[in-house]
Parts: sequence; C-alpha cells; structure tokens
Amino acid sequence: MKFLVNPNKFNNIADVLLKPLFIISIILLILGLLFSFYLSPDDYQQGSTVRIMYVHVPSAWLALLTYVIMTLYSIVGLAFKIPFGFIVNTAVAPVGAIFTLICIISGSLWGKPMWGTWWVWDARLTSVAILFIVYLIIIFMNLSFENRFVREKVVAIFVLVGSVNLPIVKFSVDWWNTLHQPATISKLSKPNIDPSMMMPLIIMTFAFMMIGMTIAILRIKTEIISRKSNLN
Amino acid sequence: MARFFLKVLFFYFREYKLNLSGFHDILTNILFFFISIFIFIFSFGPEKETLSILSIGILWTLLLLSSTLSLRKFYQEDFDNGNLILMHLNGFSYELISILKTISHFIFVQIPFLISIPIASLLLDITYDKLVLLLISFLIGSLILSCLGSISASMNLLNNRNYLLGSVIVIIFSVPAVIFSVGLINSNENYDSLINILFGILLIVFAINPWASGACLKLALQNN
Repeated sequence: MKFLVNPNKFNNIADVLLKPLFIISIILLILGLLFSFYLSPDDYQQGSTVRIMYVHVPSAWLALLTYVIMTLYSIVGLAFKIPFGFIVNTAVAPVGAIFTLICIISGSLWGKPMWGTWWVWDARLTSVAILFIVYLIIIFMNLSFENRFVREKVVAIFVLVGSVNLPIVKFSVDWWNTLHQPATISKLSKPNIDPSMMMPLIIMTFAFMMIGMTIAILRIKTEIISRKSNLN
Repeated sequence: MARFFLKVLFFYFREYKLNLSGFHDILTNILFFFISIFIFIFSFGPEKETLSILSIGILWTLLLLSSTLSLRKFYQEDFDNGNLILMHLNGFSYELISILKTISHFIFVQIPFLISIPIASLLLDITYDKLVLLLISFLIGSLILSCLGSISASMNLLNNRNYLLGSVIVIIFSVPAVIFSVGLINSNENYDSLINILFGILLIVFAINPWASGACLKLALQNN
C-alpha cells in the first residue's frame, strides 16, 4: 500500500492503471447511460424526470468522497510530514469542485419540474452550496501564494477547518425538516428503491468513480512532474 | 507566573496605545457601517413595514462586512515590522499570541461596534426587546467573528496576490453564526436553546482558533 503515500511508486502504478481505467470508465459510462435512459422504468409519480437521479446522486456522493479524501490526505501531509498529501490536495480539488457543480446544476434542473423552483434555501442545498464555495476557495488559495511550501500547508489547514461542513451536508436532511428528501440508500437499513432503478444507479456511481479516478491520477501525475522540474 | 501576567499586561498596554493612536481606522470602519445603512434605506425606501422586516438582516450583514474590513490590521502590521517574532522570542508561544490577539481584536474593534448598535437601531426603528436580543447575539457572534478573523488573517500573512481571500474565508465560515443569531432575534420563544447553540459554535471556533492560527503563524514566520 506504499503507493498511496510515495510519489514514485504511485507513478509506477498509475502508468499501469491509467489506460485500463480510462477504457473501463468509458464502457461503464455508456452502459450506465443506456440503462438509465432506455432500460429503466419511469417513476409512477415523477415520470421521466427520475432519470436525473442517475447523474445527481453519484455526483453528490463523489463530491463528498473527494472532500473526505482531501481531509485524510491533509492529515497525512501535516501530521506525518509526507509531501504526497499536499500533491493530492492540490490535484484533486478541481475534480471535487466539478462534481459539486454537476450535482447543483442537475439538482436544480430536477427541482424545477418537481418542486416548481430552481432553488430553495433549505439546509441540504445551502450546505452543498457552501461546500462548492469551500472548493473554490481552496482552488484560489492554490493559485495565490508565491511560496509553495507555505501554500500547501496553509491549504491543508484550510481543508481541515472546512471539513466541519461535511457532517452538516450528510446529516442536514435528518437534523432539519428539509424539502430535500432524506437518504434513500443507507447502510443501516434495507434500501427502499426498486432493483430496476438500483442497477443503473450503481453502474453510474462506478462510472463516475472511474472517471474521477482517471482525471485525478492524470492531475496527480502532472503535479508530480511539475514539482520535479521545480516549476512554481 | 507573575512575570507572565506582567508580560500579558504589557501586551495589552501596547495594543491599547497602538489602537488609540490609530483610532481613526476603527472610526472609519464604523463610518462605513453607518453609511451602508443609509445606502440600504435609500435603495428600498424608508417605509416602516419594509424596515421592520429587513432591519435585523441588514444590521447583521453590515456588522459582518465591516468587521472583515479590518482583517489586515490583525497580524499583518505586527508581522511586517517584526513585532510578532519579538513577541515569540520573549516567550509567547504562537498559540498564546493568537489567543491574546483575538481577545484584543474583540476589545478594540468589536466593542466600538457594540456601542454603535443602539444608535443604528434608532435609525432602523428596532424595538427595545429586539435590541436587547441583538446585543446579546452580537456579543457572542462578534467573538466568533474575531476567532474566524484570526484564522483567516494568519492564513493570508504571506499571500501577496489575493487580498480579498481573507474576507471570503471569514464570511463563508460565519454562515451558521449569522443564521442562528438572526433566528434568535426573530424567534418569539425558546431563546435559551438558540443562545446555547450560539455558545456551542463559539466554543468550537475558540478551540480551533489557537491550533489553526498558531500553525499558520509558525509557517509564515519561518518562511518569511
């Protein structure tokens, strides 16, 4: 498991993994889109708009997962003084920001026919918007310091402070009375979703995960190269 | 121990002298606060009904914005003229410096706002009951704002390219404080639970502040 903290070992494994990951992600995406557009049933209340779920839910999960990964890696970087944590932090932030943006846009496209409005100020939506702004601040911080050694540590501290938002995003639907529905799929109880809708959701989740991993690996490799050549 | 308290006393005496000679800075902040109230009233009209709905929100927004204006006074001046490193050499740890600075910011920057709130509430036609709640919520909320300001000001000590980032960090983390403060003022019962929530936020932020700003101060002083 040393490739998770060692840049050279990561590079070696990434060279092997990159092409298969790329191909798998394309296949999974095509399969998932086929399932979600043609091979899954309409909802009895929402009609065809339920298909937005197959993009909305995976991107929301991955937005949270990316921030969790960044938090873990900033702990690794700050506490154990391993610079690979900062490399991952710098590289992964735009990926998470894009996933959050996809989640927000698809959600508001879904909200217009269902709730009758593009945006409501309930707890889930607001906390996700704050998550997006936190991602943006991380990206801007990465661009605005001159000294790299200061920048990466300050960004890691900011990521740790901003991780206060994560449980608020996750549990906002349970703590407050929101218009956004509570989680349908949870670990503790049997999922109350039909298998015919569960299947495309799982396939799309894996497809999004693979796409995110491919882009993240590419960005981490670029970051390692730019640090080796001492650019900025 | 006595030497330590003497040092802290001299620290606050120095802060008092500095803030007294630069008091026009703080007065400019308060001027910004009042002029923005005028602009708000000119932009949506002076009717009492709209004022009674919007006044609390306006006051809290402007207090937040005008207290973020003074963020660069927090550490930057002492950092530039080398006083921070002198304090550290005299036996103040980075964490202690951040705690002392936060309390000094609360005393010398936020207390003048606290005094000017009753005058502003006359302009905005706020009733006495709401004024008391506003003062309580701002007394707790301004300490939260000071702690957040300490974190973001110490983060941006070596940031020469993007000055506005510090204000954005304070504003984005002060969202829960603003939500619960305005909720406290507009609610008609269960004040206790909302005040408890505000106190909880204050304790969390006060606990995070020394670690985060101490680490950032150390980074900035070592890499300057």
